[in-house]
Amino acid sequence: MNATPPSPPAAARSLGLHGLMTVLSLAMLAPFAWMILASLKTLAEAGDPAWLPRSAQWDNYLEVFRVIPFLRFMANSLVIAGWVTLLQVFTSSLAAFSFARLDWPGRDRVFFLYLGTMMLPGLVMVIPNYQIMVRFGLVDSYLGLVLPSAFTAFGTFLLRQFMLGIPRALDEAAEIDGASKWRVYWDVILPLSRPGLVTLAIFTFMGNYQSFFWPLVMMKNVDKYTLPVGLLFFDSEHGQATHLLMAAVTMSVVPLIVLFVFLQRQFIRGIQLGAVKG
Amino acid sequence: MSTESSRRRWLTGMAFLLPNIAGFLAFTLVPLVLSFGMAFTDWDMLRHNMFRHEPLSFTGLENFVRLFRDPQFWRDLGNTMFLLLGLPFAIAGSLGAALLLTKINGRRQAVGPALVVATLMLVASGLVLLRGGMAEQGVWCLFGTLAASVLVAGVLSGGTVYRTLFYLPNFTAGVATYVLWKKLYNPHTGPINFGLASLLDGVSSVVRTDPRVVGYGLPVLCGAVAVLLVLWQLRRLWRRWDDADTGTAAIVAAALTLAIPLALLTSWQGWSLPVAVGVAALGAATIIVSTLRRPRPWGKTRTLDTGLGTELGLALVLIPVLTLLVGGIILGPILPAQAAVGIDPPNWLGDYGWAKPALMIMALWAAIGSNNMILYLAGLSNIPPELYEAADMDGASPGQRFWHITWPQLAPVTFFIAVMGVINGMQGGFDMARTMTAGGPAGATTTLSYLIFIEGFETGRLGYASAAAWVLFVLVFVFSLLNFRFGNRDAND
Repeated sequence: MNATPPSPPAAARSLGLHGLMTVLSLAMLAPFAWMILASLKTLAEAGDPAWLPRSAQWDNYLEVFRVIPFLRFMANSLVIAGWVTLLQVFTSSLAAFSFARLDWPGRDRVFFLYLGTMMLPGLVMVIPNYQIMVRFGLVDSYLGLVLPSAFTAFGTFLLRQFMLGIPRALDEAAEIDGASKWRVYWDVILPLSRPGLVTLAIFTFMGNYQSFFWPLVMMKNVDKYTLPVGLLFFDSEHGQATHLLMAAVTMSVVPLIVLFVFLQRQFIRGIQLGAVKG
Repeated sequence: MSTESSRRRWLTGMAFLLPNIAGFLAFTLVPLVLSFGMAFTDWDMLRHNMFRHEPLSFTGLENFVRLFRDPQFWRDLGNTMFLLLGLPFAIAGSLGAALLLTKINGRRQAVGPALVVATLMLVASGLVLLRGGMAEQGVWCLFGTLAASVLVAGVLSGGTVYRTLFYLPNFTAGVATYVLWKKLYNPHTGPINFGLASLLDGVSSVVRTDPRVVGYGLPVLCGAVAVLLVLWQLRRLWRRWDDADTGTAAIVAAALTLAIPLALLTSWQGWSLPVAVGVAALGAATIIVSTLRRPRPWGKTRTLDTGLGTELGLALVLIPVLTLLVGGIILGPILPAQAAVGIDPPNWLGDYGWAKPALMIMALWAAIGSNNMILYLAGLSNIPPELYEAADMDGASPGQRFWHITWPQLAPVTFFIAVMGVINGMQGGFDMARTMTAGGPAGATTTLSYLIFIEGFETGRLGYASAAAWVLFVLVFVFSLLNFRFGNRDAND
C-alpha cells in the first residue's frame, strides 16, 4: 500500500480495471455457482431453469455415496494417480540426473531422441498398449493403468532443465569429498531439486486424476472405475440425475483444491518452469 | 581419455537412465513399432480374438487406401481442424487475461472507491433479497454478493484473487467440465438458453421496429470493417515483403488469415466445393509466388517487430475477428425474417451447426485462465522495462507498445503455446465427444481421436484404427515441423 493516495483519475481507472476483472471472474465462476446450486436441488427441480433450489438438499451429497461407490472410485483415482506420480518423479529424476550431470558418450543424442518422442501422439500407442495389456493379463488391473503413464519424456525434460540450474560447484565439492554418483544424486541434487520435483508431481497427479480414455478402456469391473469414468453413472441412458451428478462433480474436485491450496506458490513457479527453453 | 573410463561413464549414465528408459521402451517404443505393423494388417477383433485364431494377414496399404476413400475420415479430419480453430481464441484470451492482470499489479490500488462500490452492491443485493424473497431474485442477490466479495478480495490482494478464479476451471478439467457444460447447454433446462431466450426476445423486438435498417446496416457495417482489416493486413504484408526476411512465411500467414474465415463460414452454409477450390488455389499461388520471388535469403536483418511469430500471431487473432465479421454479413439479411417469428436460442449440442462452436466456447472458458495464462504472466514480467521507457520517450501509443514490444517479446511463449496447442488439439476431442455428444449430431463432433477409439475399441478393427492413428501421427509431425521451421525463428533467439 502506498503512502500517498492515488489521484482521482488514476483511482477511477484502477476501479474500472477491477470492475472489468470482477465481471470476468464472475463469468468464470458462474458455471461453478450453477453447479453447486444444482447439486442442492431435488430431482424434480433439476429440470427447472431457475438457479436456486427451493430449499437446499444437503442430503444429495449423502445420496451420492448410496447410489455409486463414490469413495471407492475416489480411492481408485487417488491410488492410481499417486503411484503414477511416485514412479514418474523417481524415474524421471534419475534420468534427468543422468542427462544433466553425468558425462557419457552419446548423451546429448539420446536426450534429443527422448525429446522428440514428446511429440508422439499418445493415441498411436493406445491400441497396441491395450493389446499388450491383454497379452499380459493386466486388463482391469491397477498395474495396467499405472504402468503406461509412469514413464514419460516430459518429466525427464522438466527435471533436467531444473537440474541444469543447480550450480555444479555443489556436486563437484561432494565428489571431491569422495561421494559416489548415487550419493551426489540422493544427497545433493535431489534435495535441491525439490521445487522441480513438486511441480512435476502436481502436474502428473492432476493429469492422471483427471484422465479418462485409458481408465475407460482398461477397467471392466465397476469396483475398479476411477472417478471420471464413475461420474458418468449419473449421466447415462439409464438415468439422468443432474442433482446427484453435480454433487459428485463438486466432491470430486476437492482433492485437487486441497493440493492447490497447499502448494500454490510452487505450482505457479513450476508452470513457468515448464516453458524454460531447452 | 581412455576407452576404459569412457565405457565406465557410459555404464554409470545408463544405470541412472535405466528405470525410465526401460518403461519408456516398453510402453512407448514397443507399442509404436507394433502400431506401425498393425496398420498394415487386417487385424480385426471379429476374426482374431480369444476364441478364433485366424492367421493375421499382411494387407499392404489397403487400410490406408480405405481410410482415404472413407468420407467419414475426411469429415472427422475436418471436425478436428475446425475445433483447432479455437486455439487463436484461447491464445488471445489467455494473453488478454495476463495483460489485464499485469496492469493491475503495476497500478496503485484504489481501495477506498472499491470498498464503496462493494458496499453499494451488497446493500442493493440485500434490498433485492428483502423485497423479493429467495425465489427468483435470490440469484441476483447471490451474484451481487459474489461480485462485491470478488471485487474487495481482488483489490486487497492486488489481483491474485482474479488469477486464482481464472485458474479454477483447471481443477475440473476433463470429464467434470464436460458433464457440467453438457447440463449448462441443455436447451430446455440449462441456464444458458434460459438467459439467452430473454436476451433474444429483446433483440427481435428491436429488429422488428425497423427490419430494413438492420437487414442492410449490419452486413454493410461488418463488410466495411472486414474490408478495412483486410486492407490493413495487405499493407502489412506488402511492407513485410519489402523488408524481406520473413516474406515467404508472412504471405502464407496472410493467405490463411483471409482464406480460413471465408472457407469456414461458407462451408457451414454448405457450399464447400467452390471454397475448397478457392483455398487450394490461394495456397498454391502462395507457394508458387513465394518460391519464385524469394527476396533475400532468410537473413539476419531483423528489427524488434519483424519475424514470423508476430505475423502468425496476427493471423491467429485476425481469423476469428474476420470470421465474426463475415458471419455478420451472412446473418444480416436473414435477421428480419427471423425476428418476425421470434429468434430461438440455438440447440447447442443437438444442432449440427452449433455443436462444434459450443464445444469451442466451453474450451475457451477453460483455456483463458489455464497454464497458458501463467506462462504469459511470466513472459510479461520478463520483458525489460527499458523497452517500454524508450517507447514512451518516442511517444508510442498503447497499440504500438503492444505490437512492437509486448507481442514480439512474447513470441517464444506464444510459439510454445501454439505448438503444444496444435499437438494436443489434433489428438483431442475424444473426451468431449464421449461424454457430451457421442460424436453427434450426425457426426458433427466426431474427431479423429474418437474415430480411432470407435474403430479400435468398439468395432474392433485394430488394423484400420492403427492406420488412422498413424495418419494422425504424420499430420501432427508435419504441423510441428512447419511450426519449428517457420515459427521458431524468433523463439529461439
